[in-house]
Amino acid sequence: MTALLILSPLIMLAALGAVWKARPVHAGLLLALTLSLAGMLYIALGAEFLGLVQFMVYVGAVAVLIVFALLITRPRDEIEEIARRPKSVGPGLLCTLPLLATLLYTVDRTLPEAPPGTADLPVRRIGELLFTTHAPAVLAVAILLTAVMLGAALFAREPSKKP
Amino acid sequence: MKTLIAQAAEPSLWSPEWLPLLPKRLVENLLEHFNAPGWLVSIGGIAAGAATVLAVFMTAFALLSLIERKTLARAQNRIGPNRAGPFGILQPVADGIKMLTKEDIVPAKAEKLLHLLAPILIVIPAIMALGVLPYGREWTPVPLELGLLFFFALGALTEVSVFIAGWASGSKFPMLGAMRAISQMVSYELPLVLSAIAVIMVSGTLSLPEIVAHQGGYHLGFLPAWHILTPWGLVGGLVFFIASIGEANRCPFDLPEGESEIVAGHMTEYSGFKYALFFMGEYLGLFAISGLGVTLFLGGWQAPFPGLGFVPSWIWFFAKLAAVIFLFLWIRATFPRLRMDQLMRFGWLALIPMSLLTIPAAGIWTLLHRAGHGLIAWVVTIALLVVPFVIMTVLFNRGLARSNRTYRFAES
Amino acid sequence: MNPLAVLLTLSSVLFALGLFAVLTRRNTILVLVGIELMLNAANLNFIGFWRYGPPDPQLTGPMFVLFGIAIAAAEAAVGLAIILMVFRHTRSTDLNASNSLHG
Repeated sequence: MTALLILSPLIMLAALGAVWKARPVHAGLLLALTLSLAGMLYIALGAEFLGLVQFMVYVGAVAVLIVFALLITRPRDEIEEIARRPKSVGPGLLCTLPLLATLLYTVDRTLPEAPPGTADLPVRRIGELLFTTHAPAVLAVAILLTAVMLGAALFAREPSKKP
Repeated sequence: MKTLIAQAAEPSLWSPEWLPLLPKRLVENLLEHFNAPGWLVSIGGIAAGAATVLAVFMTAFALLSLIERKTLARAQNRIGPNRAGPFGILQPVADGIKMLTKEDIVPAKAEKLLHLLAPILIVIPAIMALGVLPYGREWTPVPLELGLLFFFALGALTEVSVFIAGWASGSKFPMLGAMRAISQMVSYELPLVLSAIAVIMVSGTLSLPEIVAHQGGYHLGFLPAWHILTPWGLVGGLVFFIASIGEANRCPFDLPEGESEIVAGHMTEYSGFKYALFFMGEYLGLFAISGLGVTLFLGGWQAPFPGLGFVPSWIWFFAKLAAVIFLFLWIRATFPRLRMDQLMRFGWLALIPMSLLTIPAAGIWTLLHRAGHGLIAWVVTIALLVVPFVIMTVLFNRGLARSNRTYRFAES
Repeated sequence: MNPLAVLLTLSSVLFALGLFAVLTRRNTILVLVGIELMLNAANLNFIGFWRYGPPDPQLTGPMFVLFGIAIAAAEAAVGLAIILMVFRHTRSTDLNASNSLHG
């Protein structure tokens, strides 16, 4: 509970930074910070396996890929971004604030008293479930990932130049 | 995080097996003697244990920086550092003083905060990774239940900090170095993890002490049951070793800091103490990844021959670690640096397929052994690994032979 | 305080922030950042209901998170590959730059 109360505001701040920072690489790095803090929250909540997987996949692959793409494309739109803000922030808030209000209202009103809950996530059990109950889903994800790998490799290949 | 339940009765304070735990136990006993509260005792114990590990590896780091230069000198028919103290033993001290007294330069175009943060973020994961390795039968500083996963998760942090270092410096060479480093680390992390999966499958646990315990005992009375002495383990261990050279950015995969091309890669704009931190992070990372290799494939602290039980187990771990690190140095002294496209090609077309093959091989190995067909298991797994390897090698070399070298800039 | 309420508030805020980024950013890669935030908010909900919900031997919540992470990685890889391809044509990652089908 203390970990939750400490980490939640930090996660919100980091996410706010990721959304608000005008310089793209800063946004990408703050995304990495948000995701790693979320991973720590998972660990604090007792889902150690998921927290470490979050670190490996989200921080180690997704966030790094994003900042890498930012490096390759070198966007220089900071000034543009700041100049555009007065126009874009209003409509953006108009769309998100009602959603946020609805969500928070629902959370506040309809939530039952939380039971004490279990903080036990046995890895062995996860493995067993993955290869019994969820075996079709695992197969589907495997096919998806293979397709993604081939597709991304094909997409990202330098187009062959004719001599 | 959940840790494994600690060991039972503790023998006398000075027994050799427990020697590395001496500082921790002394501090704990001292605090208990003065009736300190329980949390203070445990915090003191943890601090003393961490200090022991740090002291051991800082000494090893200082020694290695000298031994590396001596070995390279030997391989290149030179003498190496021999001025500071007898045989140059004081060279690390001299280096340290030089590093610490140098001016700390921050480029005007750098992002000040991130520029400061990067070297710190490189050292921390390396030290944390050293904390989960089992060094001896009784000596695992932090016996995590998910130790292996924890180790790989820390690898992700290293990637981010290398990126920060390259980007925050705000100049050309660090940026190029960071791009090279990230693409290399992402590509070489895959075979690293995939070859570890076979070990996880066979030993059925993610905890490093249990993986070592699983490699205890001897086949036929003399052959140790280490994973490297099985067909899938040999292939997996080799893949792991090569991939760990790539992860540690060592020669011949040291493109991110290739001195002849991009000065020092992501470390170009660092000087003084910050540069020393990078240096330290790199060597501690090297210790950590070699230690993981020893734990996964070389039997960790298990003795190589039966009847050597009187030698403290941590000596075996450090002997194996030294052997692996000597291999790193040897390779650095003999191999030329790869080109970027060769590096990627080798990683994606050679290492990843071989590491993928070790997974079914390990599965078949386990199933056949469980069914009692030990001999068939050897034949089948060797066939499963060797046949694709030969086919791949033939295809690989044919492609290389056909394409003539083109010199784009050297001609005319 | 109800810990589940704290978690759900956190994930609601994360989701709203992600949506805001998707709506207002013009750089395609940063839109992807917003999408990752939204996916992470959903994962947080699953973990929250697993942790503070009735005991579940089937571990549905964590399982869903595991698959969610795999899908998110796939999505990021494909998304970035497409962005790089578009970048090669238009030399820009601005969403408004890829409008060549615009009549």
